[in-house]
Amino acid sequence: MSVPQARGFLLLRRGGNLWGIANAAVDGLGRQGVDYRITIGGGGGDLRADEILGVVEELRVWPLAPVVSRFWPEPAAGLAVHGHEPVVMVDPGRLPAALSAEVATEGSGEGDRDDE
Amino acid sequence: MNVSSEAGKSNGKGRLEGTHLLVRAGEYACALPLSSVRRVVRALTVHPLPGASAELEGLAEFGGEPMPVLNLGRLVHAPAGPNPTYPVTVVVWVGPVEAREMLGLSCDSALEVVHVPAGSVVAGDGGFLLGEAPVAGEVVRVLNLEALGRSG
Repeated sequence: MSVPQARGFLLLRRGGNLWGIANAAVDGLGRQGVDYRITIGGGGGDLRADEILGVVEELRVWPLAPVVSRFWPEPAAGLAVHGHEPVVMVDPGRLPAALSAEVATEGSGEGDRDDE
Repeated sequence: MNVSSEAGKSNGKGRLEGTHLLVRAGEYACALPLSSVRRVVRALTVHPLPGASAELEGLAEFGGEPMPVLNLGRLVHAPAGPNPTYPVTVVVWVGPVEAREMLGLSCDSALEVVHVPAGSVVAGDGGFLLGEAPVAGEVVRVLNLEALGRSG
């Protein structure tokens, strides 16, 4: 698992789902059109989010169960719970397509203007 | 929850112990090993995962832990029943005992606890579908939840 040991996780929402990423892996955060763009350090790429919920200091992360991997091909660093809602933990080295900035850019049209 | 006439039959030492929980998934009745069943609850709020196959309904929270929820009807390829709302989630343990995982199975209903003799199970695939067995006049799919949790 490549979630760093550094404390703190950035929580974001995309497509109705809650996602988390180790704060130490995040290089930058900004608005882009109606979305948020999160830059992953080390050339890891960019993520898109509909909403940034903030940073939580502690989050218990469970490994991704084999049964989930069997039916969901996306990479993930594990699962967690925040406020009674499941959280998919993003592996900074393998970003999921659902959060990909590239996929969002292709389909988002005029709302994709960069406000930074 | 009722105990069926099968479960109530005497084996000379009294009533036979229930071995499986019978649940309805679409037009099929499925028998889940009782030792793997943790709880039956009203359908949990499920958050679908983008790009997941139809068997995986999504993720839910149960007891403070994240829990994947699978659609049992789709897992066993059951034709949808007259009321495919899957109002019940059966929380089960899957995988080998030393590495078991918690999982939700969405079903139409939990029916009863029954006794399924090991010798009555026939024609399975040796994996998740252990086989079929007659229970109270109906053929039910007997499931092996340990196989469901294996990777690959």
